[in-house]
This record gives sequence, structure tokens and C-alpha cells, in this order.
Amino acid sequence: MNVLRFVPNVICSITKCDGYVARYYAFKSALKIKWVRPEKIPFYKPEKTGDLGLNLKVTSKDFAGRFGESKELQDANEVVKKLFTLEYLPEMETRKMKRNEAVALVRRHELDWGSMEAKLAKMTAIIQDMQKTMDKFPRNAILKVELNELIHKRKKFLGYLRQWDYKRFEWILEKLNLVYKPYPPKLLPVTRKDSLRKLTQKHCDEIVQKKLDAYKAELTLKQKQFFKEKSEKLAFIRQEELECELEPTITEEEIQEAKNKYESL
Amino acid sequence: MAKVAVAAAQGKKALSLLLGKCVPCVKQNASKIRVQHFKLDTNLNMYYRENSFFYAHDPQALCKPGDTVLIRELPSKVTRLITHEILEIVYPLGDVTDPVTGKKVVVGKYRDDIKAEDKLFGRTESAFDYDKAPPRGSQEDKRDFSHRETYTKYHEDPNDPQPYAV
Repeated sequence: MNVLRFVPNVICSITKCDGYVARYYAFKSALKIKWVRPEKIPFYKPEKTGDLGLNLKVTSKDFAGRFGESKELQDANEVVKKLFTLEYLPEMETRKMKRNEAVALVRRHELDWGSMEAKLAKMTAIIQDMQKTMDKFPRNAILKVELNELIHKRKKFLGYLRQWDYKRFEWILEKLNLVYKPYPPKLLPVTRKDSLRKLTQKHCDEIVQKKLDAYKAELTLKQKQFFKEKSEKLAFIRQEELECELEPTITEEEIQEAKNKYESL
Repeated sequence: MAKVAVAAAQGKKALSLLLGKCVPCVKQNASKIRVQHFKLDTNLNMYYRENSFFYAHDPQALCKPGDTVLIRELPSKVTRLITHEILEIVYPLGDVTDPVTGKKVVVGKYRDDIKAEDKLFGRTESAFDYDKAPPRGSQEDKRDFSHRETYTKYHEDPNDPQPYAV
């Protein structure tokens, strides 16, 4: 029980009663650590998926598909022209245009639709459209599952590309404006106890680092005096040894080195 | 073998070379290397894979996570953990070279062949160019956070951005 004498104030709820140790149900740490539970972010949000957004130029005033190339439409009146713009056509047409534009950012050649870059671009455009729909209809279960699968598939593909060709992987992250974070080794739920343990460890590490830094600074301040004394003492020892006709154990260079260090400080 | 046994009896340790894979690590001036070996389970008479981890002294950050490297034991420890040094990067991650022809490979195709194929179809300006690409690490800590182990975000603190939290 003598051990208990050194128990710090932190564990204040441990008491000694008739030779055995009793502990209250749960003791609180005296450290002033405030834990804030991180807010749960839905899986499809850009913060989670790493989508920083594609800068696409498609607007509702654009013609759908290849209608822009049509000569007849150029001569048609304004009402007819309007009917062929994305504004007056189903949402799907806008999405297709966006997808095509995203692929055009990274494609290898004009007909490229299946390379890994093109696939990732397509997926990114689709995911970003789905995210917007998800915000509107958060209870759409089918969409939720599809989106989840697509996000994980893209992450898997990015992981493959990283292994195959690192330079291309980095290039695609830059082009599609994506953030890649690998899966953590253990996907555990956030708990109060575990989080507090981590924060306490962090706090302790900080204290240790502060003390080390302070000690380092203290020693650095003393360095000047130390090297001054060192050079003097070494010179004295050498002098004594020479006077006693002994072989000197200290060379001139060692003395000079100490002096140089003193001067440099 | 006799020499090794004599050296071991004298308390001398042979400097060993190991082939391992670099894994994410937060230590500075060192890389963490995972070395895999097989261990016999005498009960089942089967071999099972086992990992051992070594810290190799690497002040210039030669190897990056995923690289296959050759490490050598140091005659004396640098710190309590750091016992090895990086000798050579054998296979850098995502930069495969065909050992027979010496050409660069991506999955099942040579890079040159991919380029030639693109040329036949009409190479676009948007296509990736290996010659202009910077070396690995251009997106590190910007968009690519795979060089560190990630974790589930456990704390909300505006002063602590936690870039490696998922």
C-alpha cells in the first residue's frame, strides 16, 4: 500500500479503506481536456468523398449534345433554338454533357472512353451530380446505395492507379480536383473513452516536448561560456604537459576548434 | 556456416541484408520497413506469413511508402528503434520497369506502346505526358494523403486541422 503514497492528484477518487483499495464508479481526470465529439458527416458529402469540385463550363443556355453543330438550327427562330437548349430538355442531357466535358479533361485521344483516366472522370462527374440530388432527396435509398458503391469503386480504382503508375495518379488528382485518403487500418466507431485517451496522450507528449525544448534552450545559452572555459582549460593542460616535458595529449587543433566554436556563438 | 557459428559464439553479429516494403510512418529521419517471412505452424504443417518491422535510418527520405527496398543492419544502433539503413530502392511504387527489355511498363503494356496507340487515334492535348510529369510527391499533403496512416476523426478542434483524419 506504500505505493499509494505516490498516487498523483489526478486519481482523486481512489480511497484507502481498511487495507483495500476502493474506487468510485468512475473517476474523472483532473486534466483540463475538453473533448468535442466530431459531428457525423454523411458518407456522400464532398468532405468525405474528397471531391473539391470540377470546373465545368456547361450551362443551361448550351445546346444539348451535337445540336450546336446543326446548320438548320442556326437558321431557326429563337423559340425553336430555345427548345434544343439544356434548359428545356430533361436533366439527363445536362448530366451527359457534364460527363463528356469531364472526360475531355483527361482523355488520351478523341475516341478514348475506357482508359482508367476516362473512367475516373466519368465517375467523378456522376458522383458530383448524384451528390446534388442526394442533398435534395436524402431519403432516396436506391440513389444512396448506388452513390455509396460508386464512391467506393472510384476509391478502389484510384488505389489501383496509384500502384500501377504513381505519376499518372497524381496528375489525375490534380486534373479532377480530388483528394485521396486511403482507408484507415481499423474502421472503429468514435468513443468518448478512446478519444480521451488519445487526447491525454497528446497532452502528455506536448508536456514532454515543451520540457525538452526548454532544456535544449537552457543548454544552448550555456554553450558560449562552456566553449570559452573549454578552450582555456585545454590550453592550460597542454601548457602544463609541455612544461613537465610530457608528450602532450591535447593538440593545438582541438584548442583552436573550441575557440572557433566560442567565436561563432 | 561454420564461420557464422564462430562469429556468433564470439558475440559478433553478421550484418544482414533484408528486402522489405516501406510503410507509412510518422518518425523523422527514418523509414519503417515491413519484412515478410513464412513461419511453419507445426500443428497444421503449413506456412503462415508473418511480418516484422524495422526502422531504417533515412535522413534524405530516399524511400516513400510502397517502395520495395533493400536494408542493411547498422554496426551500431542510431537510436533505440533505428537499427538499419536504406541500401537501395529496388522497386519504386508505381514506376515499373520490365527487367527483360528495360522499358517502363503500365499494367500489361509498355508506355511507348500506349503512346503509339494514342498517336494512331489522334493524341489529344489533354493526354498525360510522362516527359512533362514531375517526380512522385508533387501532390503530397495537397491532394494525396497516402503517405501517412489515416484514422477516424475523433476530436473537433478548430486549431487542429487533422489532415489525415477520415
